[in-house]
Amino acid sequence: MKRSKHTILIANRGEIAIRIMEACRDLGHAFVCVYTAEDADSGHVALARQWGGQAYRIHNYIDAGDILSVADQSQCTAVHPGYGFFSENFRFARRVAERTRAMNFIGPSWWIIRDLGDKINTKRLARRLGVPTIPGSDRAIYDEMEAEDIARTLFDFQSRQGVGRPTVLVKASAGGGGMGIDEVHDMDRFRQVYRRIRNYAARTFNDEGVLIEQRIFNFNHLEVQVVSDRSGKNPVHFGTRNCSVQSPGLQKRIEVAPGFFPDGLSYSFDAQRVLDDITAHSLSMAREIRYDNVGTWEWIVTPKGEPFLMEVNTRIQVENGVSAAIARIRGKDGVNLIREQIRIGLGEPLGYSQGDIAFDGVAIEYRIIAEDTQNRFRPWAGRIERMEWPSRPWLSVHSHVPRGEAYQIPTEYDPNLALAILWGRDLNEAKTRGREVLDSFLMQGVDGAGTEMKTNIAFLTEKTGRLLEF
Amino acid sequence: MASSFMDTDKRIQELAERVRYAQDILGGKENRKLSAFAQHMDEVAARAATVSAEDLRDQVAALEQRLAALEESLDPTLSPMDKVRIVRHPQHICLKDILENVYDNYTEIGGRGEVNIDPGMCIARAYITRRVGDKVMNQPVMVVGQEKGHGEEFRNGGSIKPWGNSKALKYMKVAALENIPIHTFVFTPGSYPIEDFPGAAQQIAENIYEMGGLPVPIVSVICEGGSGGAEAVGLADKRLMLSHGYYSVISPEGAAAIEGRIKPGQRASAELIERCAASQQITAQDNLKNGYIDGIVQEPPLGARPEHFEFFKRLRAEIIRATDEVALSVRGMRIFRRAALRAGGENGAPDNLFMRWELSARAKERLVWRRYRKYRRMAQQAYSDNRSILEKMASARIGFLASAHSAIRYDLFRKAKKKVAEWTEDVTDEIQVVTGKLGQFRKSTLERLGVSGRDALDAAAAQLTSLSEPSACSPGQENCVSYLSPKAREDREISCPHASKRGCLDIWARDLYAEFAGVCPNCGHHFSMEYQWYLANVFDPESLREFNKNIAAGNPTGFPDFDTRVAEAKDKTGMQSACMTFSGAIHGIQLTCAMLVANFRGGSVGAAEGEKFIRALALARKRHQPFLAYVHGTAGIRIQEGLNGLIQMPRCTLAVRRYIEAGGLYIVLYDTNSYAGPVASFLGCSPYQFSVRSARIGFAGPGVIKETTGLDIPPNYHSAHSALSRGHIQDIWDRREIRRNLQQVFLTMGGRNLYYR
Repeated sequence: MKRSKHTILIANRGEIAIRIMEACRDLGHAFVCVYTAEDADSGHVALARQWGGQAYRIHNYIDAGDILSVADQSQCTAVHPGYGFFSENFRFARRVAERTRAMNFIGPSWWIIRDLGDKINTKRLARRLGVPTIPGSDRAIYDEMEAEDIARTLFDFQSRQGVGRPTVLVKASAGGGGMGIDEVHDMDRFRQVYRRIRNYAARTFNDEGVLIEQRIFNFNHLEVQVVSDRSGKNPVHFGTRNCSVQSPGLQKRIEVAPGFFPDGLSYSFDAQRVLDDITAHSLSMAREIRYDNVGTWEWIVTPKGEPFLMEVNTRIQVENGVSAAIARIRGKDGVNLIREQIRIGLGEPLGYSQGDIAFDGVAIEYRIIAEDTQNRFRPWAGRIERMEWPSRPWLSVHSHVPRGEAYQIPTEYDPNLALAILWGRDLNEAKTRGREVLDSFLMQGVDGAGTEMKTNIAFLTEKTGRLLEF
Repeated sequence: MASSFMDTDKRIQELAERVRYAQDILGGKENRKLSAFAQHMDEVAARAATVSAEDLRDQVAALEQRLAALEESLDPTLSPMDKVRIVRHPQHICLKDILENVYDNYTEIGGRGEVNIDPGMCIARAYITRRVGDKVMNQPVMVVGQEKGHGEEFRNGGSIKPWGNSKALKYMKVAALENIPIHTFVFTPGSYPIEDFPGAAQQIAENIYEMGGLPVPIVSVICEGGSGGAEAVGLADKRLMLSHGYYSVISPEGAAAIEGRIKPGQRASAELIERCAASQQITAQDNLKNGYIDGIVQEPPLGARPEHFEFFKRLRAEIIRATDEVALSVRGMRIFRRAALRAGGENGAPDNLFMRWELSARAKERLVWRRYRKYRRMAQQAYSDNRSILEKMASARIGFLASAHSAIRYDLFRKAKKKVAEWTEDVTDEIQVVTGKLGQFRKSTLERLGVSGRDALDAAAAQLTSLSEPSACSPGQENCVSYLSPKAREDREISCPHASKRGCLDIWARDLYAEFAGVCPNCGHHFSMEYQWYLANVFDPESLREFNKNIAAGNPTGFPDFDTRVAEAKDKTGMQSACMTFSGAIHGIQLTCAMLVANFRGGSVGAAEGEKFIRALALARKRHQPFLAYVHGTAGIRIQEGLNGLIQMPRCTLAVRRYIEAGGLYIVLYDTNSYAGPVASFLGCSPYQFSVRSARIGFAGPGVIKETTGLDIPPNYHSAHSALSRGHIQDIWDRREIRRNLQQVFLTMGGRNLYYR
C-alpha cells in the first residue's frame, strides 16, 4: 500500500483536529473531519470546510463503527486519532489496521499500545532493562500474606531511608484514573485497606489483583518525548518537559521544556544527569519494544533527584508543541511533531538521527481554560463573546474557538480553550514573555446564570514565577 | 311390559353410545362396517314401537353380539393414533374407577373435587384384602396417579402442576416411612409446563431422584404416559401398561409440530401426526418389545371403560402379582413362594398365596440396587457402540485400574495415611519452633554487629525494585490458551440486542468473539460461544482426555429420514453424539465432565448421550473425582428416538443418585438454552446448579407453553435471573468467570469423601 497521497480521517475534535489538518496541508494529504451535534460550532468544522476537506456528522467520537463508516464512505487511507478518545485504544488501532479495508493507524502499532497500555507490563519491562521504577510490586498481588510482606518491607525501607511519614499506596491493578486507590501510613491499618481495595477491585473490575507501591511526595513530573519510525530501530528523543504545574485534579496546566534548567537554576541534585538518565532509559525501552511512532515516557523525580518511570503514553500529547519549540533538526527550527507523526505513521523513514537534533532556549505552554480556580477549579461553561491575544513572533496560540464570533462552550467535552506556546532564549526571557502574554490575553463572556467568564489566567501568572525550581 | 321396553331402550342407547365411542376412536376415518351397523341400529330403533317387546329384545341382543364382534374385529386394526384417542376419550377409565374397582377400600388424601392443591393429582391410601386360610389380611398401599375425572374441566386433563407433583412425592415418601408399597397410575398427557415454584422441571427432577431411592416396592401402571409428566410418578420396579395406552416422549401432535417445523398458530396435518405417532413406537406392544415395560394388561376391545368389570379383576390380579414379585425378588428366603407365584399361571390371582409387602433393611438395600440395575440395562440396543476392540479394552482397563486404585487409596491407606500425617505435622511443628528461634537469634546478632544497616537497605531496595517472577500468562490472556472463534475472523459489526435500552455501541466481531469472550463490554449481554471456547478457557491446558467418543447416536425407532439427519449432524460437528465426555482439570483439580453440545441436534439427549453420561458418572465414581455436567445447550429429549430417549431421564438420574450417594460432588452448569427432559431429570436433580448469564432454563419453551396452556408468558420467563429468583439455580456467573467460580465451588463444596487434591 505504498502511495504518496493519503486521505486522513481525523477522529478527534477541537484544537488537535485543527493542528492535524494543518499538518496534513503541509504534507499535501487530503483529510476528512468528523463532529458531533453538540460540536457543530467548533472551529475545526468550519476550518475543515474552508480548507477543502469534508466534515461528517457522527453520533459520538467513541463510536468506532460510526467513524469507520465515514472513513469507508470518503475512501480514507489513514486514521489519526489525536489524543484522548481512541488514541490509546489498541482495539481500535487493531481494527483500523486489520479490517478488510485496512487503513493506516497513525500511532504506534496496536500491540505496542496494548503492551505499554498495561501498567504492570510496562513496569516489568522497565525492571527487566534496569530502568528505575517506583518501589513496590510489579505484578498483581492476589495473596494477602504476600501483600503484607511487601507492605512491611516498604514501610521498613522508607523509615530506613529517613522518610518522615512512610506511606504505602494500595491500588487495584485493573483500576486507573484514581479509582480503587488508597494510602496507608502504618502496618496496623494495612490489612483493612488492602481488603477494602481488593473487594472493590473484585466488584468493579472483576479482578482481585492489587498493586502495592511506595507513595512519593513532592515530586516533579517530567516527560521524555520519543519519536521513532515504523522500523522501530532508531528511536530519537525530542528532549524533556516539566509538567509539574497541575490542577488539584492532577490536570496539567503549564508545561515547560526542557524539564530542568541547570544552567540558570541550582538544584540539590545533579539535574543534568537526571535529564540524561531519563532520556537514555526512555530510549532503551523504546528500542527494546521497537516503538514505532511518537510517544511520551512519564517520569517522576523525587526531591532527592531519583527518577522513577511512571507510565508510557502511546500517543501524541497536548504539549507536543512545547518540545517542538525548543528543538532544532539539523539546526532548523519550525519543528512540528504532529507532522513528523503523520509522516512516520504513513511509513516514511525518520530521515535523521539523534545527532541531528539540538535544543535551544526554553518554551512554555499555558493551557488557557475557562475554570474557577478559586472554587476547586470548577469548569465554567458559558458563551465567549471575545477572545483576543497579541500576535508575537515567538508566540503561537492553538485554539478551536472561532475568532471574531461568539462561541458557546459545549459542556460535553473538556473546557480547554487555547494553548499558548511561547519561546525565550533562556528561562528568564521565557518567563517574562509568559507574563506578557497572560497579561494581554483578553477573554470576555457570560454564562446562562449571568456569571462573568472565569479563567485560569491569574493562576497561570502566579505559577509562572517559580517555574522549573525544585 | 313397560319395564322391558325401558330395558331395551336403555340397551339401544348403550349401543348407540358404544358406536359413537368407536367412531370417536377412529377419528376422521370412515369405517363402512361401523356405519352400516349404525344405520341398521337406527332402523331397529325406529321400528321399536311397531315390533313386539320380545322381538325387539332378540333384535337388540343380536345387535349387541354383532357390535361386540365388530369391536373385536376393529381392535387389531387400531393405529397408534387411535390408541391416543382412546386414552384421551372421556369415557375411558380413570384412576377413580380403578380405586373403586381394584382396591377393596380407600381414602382419598388431600382432595375434595375442585378443592385440592392440584385436582389432577389423586393420592389415596388403599388396601387390598387377601384371604390366607380363614384369616383376612388387609395389605395397605399408597396409590398415586393422575385423575382425569372423565373430562372434568378442573382436573386439567391430568396435566399436573409442579405443586401436584410435589404433593405426590410427599406421599410417596410417607409410604416409604410406613414401609408400604406404592402403586402409581400414569394418566397424563404431560406436565403443566409452568415455572412457578417449585417449577415443572425442577419438581419432576426431584421426583425422579427421590423415587430412585424409595425403599419400598413401586409398581406403576401406565395408561397415558406423556413425557416428563409420566416420569414424575412412573419410575418403578415393575412397570405395567394397559394394552390400549401409549407411553411416549412427546404427544404425536407435539412431535409433528417439531418435525413439520410448524410455526405458532399453524397446525400440523393429520397425516403427519399419524406418521409421527406410528414412528415413535409409543404403544404398549412396542414398549414391551423394546424392554421399557414389564407387562401388558389386556383391555377389552377398543379400550376399557368403567363398565368392564372383568378388566378390573385382571388389573387387580396383575398389580398384586407385580407387587408380590417385587417384594419377593429382594427377600432372602423365596424359593417356594416364587415357584408358587409362577404356578399361579396366567390369570390365577394368587389371592391365596400370602406375601408380606413390608421389607427388611437388607431387602430395602437390595430393592434400590435392583432398581438401579433395571434401568441401567435399558436402552442398550438403542445406540451404536462403534468403539474398536482396543478402545473397549482400554476403557475396561481404565475402569478396573480406577477401581483398584481407589480401593487401595481410599479404603486401605486411609487409616495409615492419617497416622503418618499426624506424625509429620508434629515433627514439622517441633522443627519450626527450633528454626524460628535460630532465625531470630541470627538476626539480632547481625544487627548488633552492625551488619544490617546499608546492606539491609540495599537488599530491601533490590527486593522492591527488581523484577519479580512472572505470572504464568502473558497479559490479555485469561488462561494461557488461545482459541479463536470462527466468528472472530469476520470483519463485521455486531449490535447488542440491548443497544436501544442500554446505549451499547456496536462491537467489532473480532473484539467481541475473541477478547470480550462474547460479552458486550457495556451491558454484559452474553452472545453465544462455541463449546470449544469453554474447553479452551475453562479447563487447564492440555488436561483434557475425551473418552467413549465412539458411542454413537443412531435411529433406534427407524424414524423416517432420521438416519440421514443424524449422519449430517455427525458430519457437520465431527461428533458422534451430542454428549462429549472427558476428564480434565481446573487449576489442578481433576474432574470428570459430561458436556451436552448444542451444535449436535440442539444438544438433545438420546440413548447414546444417556449412555455416555452414565458411563462418565461411573468413571468419576471409581476415580473419586468431582463431576461437572456442563450444558452448552440442550433442547430436551431427542423425540425421534421415542421412549429410547425418554427413558434416559430416569436412567441418568439413577446414575447421578448412585454417584452422589457414593459421596460424589455433582455440579451442573447451564450455558444457553436448557429445556425439557434433561433439566427435568438428571440435571435438575443436582443440589448445585449454576448458570451462565446467557442461559434460559425451563421445562417447555414459550411456544409450547402457549400451545398447551394458552398462557402468554413474558419474554424473560426462562431467563437465568428468573430461575435464580425462583430458587431453581444457585447462582448466575459471568462467562469469563466460569473457571474461577468452578475452582471456588470445588474448593468449598468438595466434601471429604470424594474431593482430594
